[in-house]
Amino acid sequence: MEPRGVPPYLSDPAATRPSPNCPDRPADPAATLALRPFVITAGRVIGDDTRMGFETQVSALPGARPARLTPEANAIIAICQRPISVAEVSARLRLHFGVTKILIGDLHSAGHIIIHAVDDESPDPDTILRVIHGLRAIF
Amino acid sequence: MDFVPSSDRALATTYDAHLMRRQTPSAPIPIKIIIAGGFGVGKTTTVGAISEISPLTTEAEMTSASVGIDDPGPTSAKSTTTVAMDFGCVTIDQTLKLYLFGTPGQSRFAFMWDELIRGAVGALVIADSNRLNDCYASIDYFERADMPFAVGVNAFDGHLAHDLDEIRWALAINENIPVLRFDARDRVSVRDALLVVLERALDHAVRRKPIRGDAGPVHMGLP
Repeated sequence: MEPRGVPPYLSDPAATRPSPNCPDRPADPAATLALRPFVITAGRVIGDDTRMGFETQVSALPGARPARLTPEANAIIAICQRPISVAEVSARLRLHFGVTKILIGDLHSAGHIIIHAVDDESPDPDTILRVIHGLRAIF
Repeated sequence: MDFVPSSDRALATTYDAHLMRRQTPSAPIPIKIIIAGGFGVGKTTTVGAISEISPLTTEAEMTSASVGIDDPGPTSAKSTTTVAMDFGCVTIDQTLKLYLFGTPGQSRFAFMWDELIRGAVGALVIADSNRLNDCYASIDYFERADMPFAVGVNAFDGHLAHDLDEIRWALAINENIPVLRFDARDRVSVRDALLVVLERALDHAVRRKPIRGDAGPVHMGLP
């Protein structure tokens, strides 16, 4: 889905994606472009929730339809109607991952979004066994 | 479950928990496997072969250090760069979802892997038998990080330039690290490679925490 109101330069992945062979060449104009997505977060580059990882699940609180939010925040709430990973929110809305984390952190603080944190960082053997059985059964 | 930075933490957490119990279906537990390897070795193909969604791309800021050929010496500063990462997922059941993240292959991004591998169960390092040195950085990294991993040699056109024993020797990896041959385009082949990684991850996890013995569902992180 294409959220309304996302600036065009963010909608074009090629505009902010540096060449894979020399991604951090200082002279590359992409180096300055990379900073621009953070305009959406009012310049903040560090969010409140450092425990949010790529795969962390987030979901909107049912009935959360706040009236006055930025287009990006509204798009996040719309896409989070079912549990979804932070990485997927970032990819589907074509928002920079760091920006996505900050915006989700804001929406969480404001009571619109639940972050389903997994307390234990390393999965236990029972969970891994279930993945093994599940993968064997699916394919 | 508490992600509230304010002084109203206790109140807000209670509020969250209350709302979640009443209205919100619980989210699946995400299980993460890292797909690593050199540039163009077939990471995205591997993810796409098994993912239930077309591989998506997220762009993230990564801290990197200039190393290798353009190493300016000990005074080199870390710099921040934007890296595109491809990922996909497989729903195991309503409570479990497997995520596969392809890492940028260049060794200079080793620093950013710390964030990416946090919470991962294991890694599949993809090797091209014609360009084995492209995966040295990944192997080195996972060995140091004590992350369970297996090496999957992608048989692009059905055959390998070297046999698996030669490849194991060339990579100088431990006998107990699996080296297997797979086809990144084939779903079952990718599935089998991931199963090898998961078996390693299971061994690793059992050493830290024994299996409880019952086969019932396990719920983590949610009240």
